[in-house]
Amino acid sequence: MAAGDPAADGLAGLLQQWLPEQRWFGGKGRQLSTVEVETFPLSDQPLVQLHRVTVGYADGLEETYLVPLSRREEAAEPLTAALVGELPDRPCFVYDAMRDRQTTPVWLDLFAAGHDQGGLRFHPEPGATLPERGPGDIISTEQSNSSLIFGEDAILKLFRRQEPGLNPDVEIHDALRERDNPHVAALLGYASLHGRPGEEESTVAMLQTFLSSASDGWSLAIASVRDLYAEGDLHPDEVGGDFAGESYRLGEATASVHQDLAAVLPTGSLTADRLEQAVAGMDERLAAAVEVVPELAPYADGLRARFARLTTLTDPVAVQRVHGDYHLGQVLRTYHGWTILDFEGEPARPLASRRGLDSPLRDVAGMLRSFDYAAKRLLVDAPPDPQLEYRSNEWADRNRAAFCEGYAAAAGWDPTGQPELLGAFEADKAVYEAVYEARNRPHWLAIPLWTLAKLAKEAS
Amino acid sequence: MGIHGPGIAPDPEWYKRAVFYEVLVPGFADSNADGTGDIRGMIGKLDYLHWLGVDCLWLPPFFVSPLRDGGYDVADYCAVLPAYGSIEDFREFLAASHERGMRVIIDFVMNHTSDQHAWFQASRSDPDGPYGDFYVWSDTDTGYSDARIIFVDTEVSNWTFDPIRRQYFWHRFFSHQPDLNFENPKVQKAIFDALRFWLDIGIDGFRLDAVPYLFEEEGTNCENLPKTHDFLRRLRLMVDAEYPDRLLLCEANQWPADVVQYFGDPDKGDECQMAFHFPVMPRLFMGVRRESRFPISEILAQTPPIPSNCQWGIFLRNHDELTLEMVTDDERDYMWTEYAKDPRMKANIGIRRRLAPLLDNDRNQLELFTALLLSLPGSPVLYYGDEIGMGDNIWLGDRDGVRTPMQWTPDRNGGFSTADPQRLHLPPISDAVYGYQAINVEAQMRNTTSLLYWTRRMIEVRKQHPTLARGTLSEVGSRNPTVLSYIREYGEDLVLCVNNLSRFPQPVELDLRRFEGFTPTELTGRVVFPVIGVLPYMLTLAGHGFYWFQLTRTEAA
Repeated sequence: MAAGDPAADGLAGLLQQWLPEQRWFGGKGRQLSTVEVETFPLSDQPLVQLHRVTVGYADGLEETYLVPLSRREEAAEPLTAALVGELPDRPCFVYDAMRDRQTTPVWLDLFAAGHDQGGLRFHPEPGATLPERGPGDIISTEQSNSSLIFGEDAILKLFRRQEPGLNPDVEIHDALRERDNPHVAALLGYASLHGRPGEEESTVAMLQTFLSSASDGWSLAIASVRDLYAEGDLHPDEVGGDFAGESYRLGEATASVHQDLAAVLPTGSLTADRLEQAVAGMDERLAAAVEVVPELAPYADGLRARFARLTTLTDPVAVQRVHGDYHLGQVLRTYHGWTILDFEGEPARPLASRRGLDSPLRDVAGMLRSFDYAAKRLLVDAPPDPQLEYRSNEWADRNRAAFCEGYAAAAGWDPTGQPELLGAFEADKAVYEAVYEARNRPHWLAIPLWTLAKLAKEAS
Repeated sequence: MGIHGPGIAPDPEWYKRAVFYEVLVPGFADSNADGTGDIRGMIGKLDYLHWLGVDCLWLPPFFVSPLRDGGYDVADYCAVLPAYGSIEDFREFLAASHERGMRVIIDFVMNHTSDQHAWFQASRSDPDGPYGDFYVWSDTDTGYSDARIIFVDTEVSNWTFDPIRRQYFWHRFFSHQPDLNFENPKVQKAIFDALRFWLDIGIDGFRLDAVPYLFEEEGTNCENLPKTHDFLRRLRLMVDAEYPDRLLLCEANQWPADVVQYFGDPDKGDECQMAFHFPVMPRLFMGVRRESRFPISEILAQTPPIPSNCQWGIFLRNHDELTLEMVTDDERDYMWTEYAKDPRMKANIGIRRRLAPLLDNDRNQLELFTALLLSLPGSPVLYYGDEIGMGDNIWLGDRDGVRTPMQWTPDRNGGFSTADPQRLHLPPISDAVYGYQAINVEAQMRNTTSLLYWTRRMIEVRKQHPTLARGTLSEVGSRNPTVLSYIREYGEDLVLCVNNLSRFPQPVELDLRRFEGFTPTELTGRVVFPVIGVLPYMLTLAGHGFYWFQLTRTEAA
């Protein structure tokens, strides 16, 4: 079946209503003018189809999403929440297949069969052990993608938003396979879909080892900070919940993955003019941010001075593939140590730029920002308390230092030995955060402002 | 009926479900008012131990000894130290224990003797006599140079010169404890004879002290040598053939992956049936201090499978200190880096403390730790007095601080002895918090909410569920890093344990999809919880709270 199928027209109407209610749908609040549906069969019995849905907005822009749906002859009561709607043709009840548990084993069947039909291809990784056939359960907390957990062994991530090209998450995990790095979860396979004329294939989904019984770094860090604040006047190195050991090991894990990325994927170094471009980009983002967040104005000169220092660097700046959206929420603690997830890069940026090269210090700066966030998270909703603020700084300093020490021990070079780059990346990130917080969570704005004040002061 | 007398039914794997209780003879009860606990005194307390739910008593050495190493320096393997009683007293004690269904294992130190042992005296004075080759003698002090010195604080070499024989003798521990020469078949026979002496009396097994060091070999570190395992296999063959249902419990303070070799052949388990799991204990303390399950999860994941007829022994405290001996080899190890960073944990290394003072006498934590001890894989070993939350006396020095008299009543000497208080071998704890006026068995038996009653109740619950003794363990996933959850599984007997390692209340969403349609029943109150579905199972726990649930298939309505 292809676009323009009469049966698809009714579906397009249903989806026009249904899409804006989905958390992963990026066009909420925008005017939908067209919905085009292409259909790729996944299974006849039960009937499951993958739909590539291209939505057009009133402003002329387009986005493409993947929507797997199942069809049933009769309404299934336990699936009421997954009902997309009813169509006049048979079978008429349409369900969100990611939440129709009975139909989810179809994905494993397609991987096992190496299914390759109508432009939809499943690529099981050579030698990978696929999970036993069984239902997959959806993770309820996700933002931009949808994932199914199969048993305790595997997780399938459906990339809802489609762009031409290999998804960096698949690309990086595939490349790292030969390195056998203990800090990434093994890739079991991925699926791709042919592009429209002149376009590259897009990535549909990836199947990866599931780390059962893992906790994300953010939860662990917050537990540590909570423990610190509950003690009257102890320092972070004196309380039971000290996190520095974990931060150190996280630094080691980060360096280990960076080294392997540099070994298997392209590397390079920034020329002087590229560095100037980078500085120009940071200046631009700062200028735009000051328009949105007037509180930034007092720090602008100091931050610009900090950015400008990059142009004075004499040593070449080494670049390589990096994580790109690195923070405590992207790392999982298992009982074997830290595992780094989601190499998709910053999801708001176009795919091509997410696959570009950058300094590994970009990731280090991202994690340092995350330590600041963890330290301050519990303060933003509380009345001001100078003593707690002081101690939160101590926690952040201690764990930032431990992370960098661990990184240095494993990498052989110390990230804090390049303060110009690291400070500029941190400032650039905090400027982005300030805009985000001002728009979405104004009471959190204090967190990036605190860092920016410090960075601007040190620079001037 | 056999040698056991009434009360003990034959059961080749009794140790797999037993609750052990370590009791020091001089510290438990004094029957003759001489200030030192004795075997007859223990007989009078067996009803108490039976009431508590103890299945097996472990007695550290009570043999004739100069007592320079807490009795581990044995001067006669076949005689009781007169201050503790006589062989006849011991026979009576054993019969009385068996009558109550309780078994008894005793410590046995094979590796070395006291230098006061008659064998050593004969060996040093008559090199050509029958005992001349009973110890490891040498004209030089240079042999076996790759063997480490274990007691680095007191010993400078593993060789000491004997002025009488004018030769050096080998000792892995103190220089007053010469190592026996296991290369000599007569030594092996003498040890077998000593073991048979106790087995004939009817004891139920041995805790074998310091087993990794029996043999020496040039060019090795003289630990865990193949010859040592050969000897243990022969010992086990003898015990199984002549004395069924007897236990060999190995003390090898090493990493679990190395300790498993003392179970013997992975399929047959033909050496010791039990071995202590040393690293679990410090990690429980670290997990609760860090409010993180990972120190514990890691060690559970690193614990290799053991033969099906074998069992781990686990403990919270015993007469030894919180030790990191087995982890210092690997500087990258989790515990090493964490302890090195934490001044408070560092301070606890090498200091012997009891459970209650280690946990700041916090009842919630005492309960959590005990619940972990009773629900993690392995047979739990309780240390006398911890069931009432006894304190310690760090001013008595590291050896004696945790060996003070058991506190039975608020009367003179805590009910331990009617001797003149000045005559007691160690003073009872008498401070305001842990003193015998406040902490004693009598008071806690009158109060059903006491720690003692609570401990008894939990032991009872444990015994109702064979899975807690014999089941497999699998950790249950959740996002909350401070909640440790696991399923114990033994056939149809399923118990889910959920432990909040944090002092703050915590929510947890457990991934229990495998048990969809099962109903959890809380084990202390039999309260039925909602049926498990596909969605994460939500529980909330109080600070340091825990749950034990039985999971049963939901009956159709």
